[in-house]
Amino acid sequence: MRDSERELATLLIAALNLEGKQIDEIDPSAPLFGDAGSGWGLDSIDALEIALAIQQKYGVELRAEDEATRQAFASLTALVDYVAQRRAGA
Amino acid sequence: MSNAWMPLLDLAEPDVPLFMQRDGLIGRGQFAGAVEALAKRLPQQPYALNLCESRYAFSMVLCALALRGQTGLLPSSGAAGMMDQLAQAYPGAVVLSETAGATTFTVDSRGGRVSLGRLPPVDSDAAVAIAFTSGSTGQPQPQSKTWRALHHVGAVLSRRLLAGLERCSIVATVPAQHMYGLEASIMLPLAGGHCVWSGRPAFPDDMRAALLAMPAPRVLVTTPIHVRALLLSGTRLPELACLISATAPLPPEMAQQAEQVFSAPVLEVYGCSEAGTVATRRTVAGDLWQPLDGIRVETRDSLSLVHGMHLAGPVPLQDVLEIEGNDFRLLGRASDMLKVAGKRASLADLTRQLLSIPGVVDGVVFQPETGDDMLQRPAALVVAPHLSESEILGALGRLIDPVFLPRPLRKIEGLPRNTVGKLPRSTLQRLLADA
Repeated sequence: MRDSERELATLLIAALNLEGKQIDEIDPSAPLFGDAGSGWGLDSIDALEIALAIQQKYGVELRAEDEATRQAFASLTALVDYVAQRRAGA
Repeated sequence: MSNAWMPLLDLAEPDVPLFMQRDGLIGRGQFAGAVEALAKRLPQQPYALNLCESRYAFSMVLCALALRGQTGLLPSSGAAGMMDQLAQAYPGAVVLSETAGATTFTVDSRGGRVSLGRLPPVDSDAAVAIAFTSGSTGQPQPQSKTWRALHHVGAVLSRRLLAGLERCSIVATVPAQHMYGLEASIMLPLAGGHCVWSGRPAFPDDMRAALLAMPAPRVLVTTPIHVRALLLSGTRLPELACLISATAPLPPEMAQQAEQVFSAPVLEVYGCSEAGTVATRRTVAGDLWQPLDGIRVETRDSLSLVHGMHLAGPVPLQDVLEIEGNDFRLLGRASDMLKVAGKRASLADLTRQLLSIPGVVDGVVFQPETGDDMLQRPAALVVAPHLSESEILGALGRLIDPVFLPRPLRKIEGLPRNTVGKLPRSTLQRLLADA
């Protein structure tokens, strides 16, 4: 796992109260939403919390209605890359 | 009840906008045309599931079904388990959605101009929609709604919450399938002559963009979770005429802060799926709720009842009320209902679903005591020697709305049932901490 992925995973675990989740067991390509068996099993309320946490930490505003956000929410890797790209562009 | 007919929609001013989409406005006349065209194409079945996500498509289906004398089912989630239950309870029900699927009837807005004023009236006492609640038995309970009742609440809500305002622009963050969403984001614009944003903005920046796209006076229909997110993010919204919140109590400090930040009154709606909206209040003005016009509340022994001329009979409430003149105070919940962002479930039902998973020997879903009530999720303790925690969560995720997935869910050796077979919450709390 990249350092940037580790950092964002730590942020998500804190923001979403997922204290049972071990960082070293996270697959950065696993889906964030939907099936709790193979991925994170997050839902729309978590999405709002993630958007808030990312805005507070990185100053990046997310829009749920953007196709880019939908793609960014596919996995931890995709989200890290998207936030980095938005910060570089800002 | 009498077989009274009433118009579906006031078409006196067909060009007044009713929906705003990203690609433009839909006027009342254009909407009526789309409804008439859809009503002609709908399959002939007594029941149809209205899964449409945009408020425009949802409303087209609601009205087209009413014209056809059919009934729309409004499931609180599209979770596979809920859909299976509905398919069993309403055999042959058609699924109506904007997204195409093998078993889905696709809703689109094709259709010509309506011959204005000629939209046929609807039977005001027929059930046009059925919402679902988690009843005290733990099984989802159907709640029939007539066009008369829905239209009445929409008109009264408009007069109460948007008094003195005309042609408001409404942006809502709640789904239309939820009773609050149905009344405040669909019936309120339909009956009150307002315009509503068709989409459902999820994040603060989406809410800002939607509000900016619409003209003043602007109204945000939302929940405490979204108000909290708006305040924490520091999002600057365009000028609001008012902000309406429901689904859970809004902490008075948060209401105070929101009134200052957005320079607008923050109004709360109290209701339930059985009765719809019961009362409203301006949170900063105090803890008394004012019943809607035509609604009367009563406490009888330990039971609280709602009477309304648009209701078929008195509706018992899940909350304990203290009545003061015409108004009332909420003293607390009478049961184990769980509400998260406009969705409801009972802990009893969640426990029942947990126990239905093969390999789960015993278990309980309960509400842990934490500091932050608003984001509170249920927790679960499970006895399942041959399943992992993620396997249990995976199985549960196919049965219930993910909003209610227990967090944390912990495996233990056995549940500490006391002598009467009950599970004291303090014991559960300790086990959760130790597990």
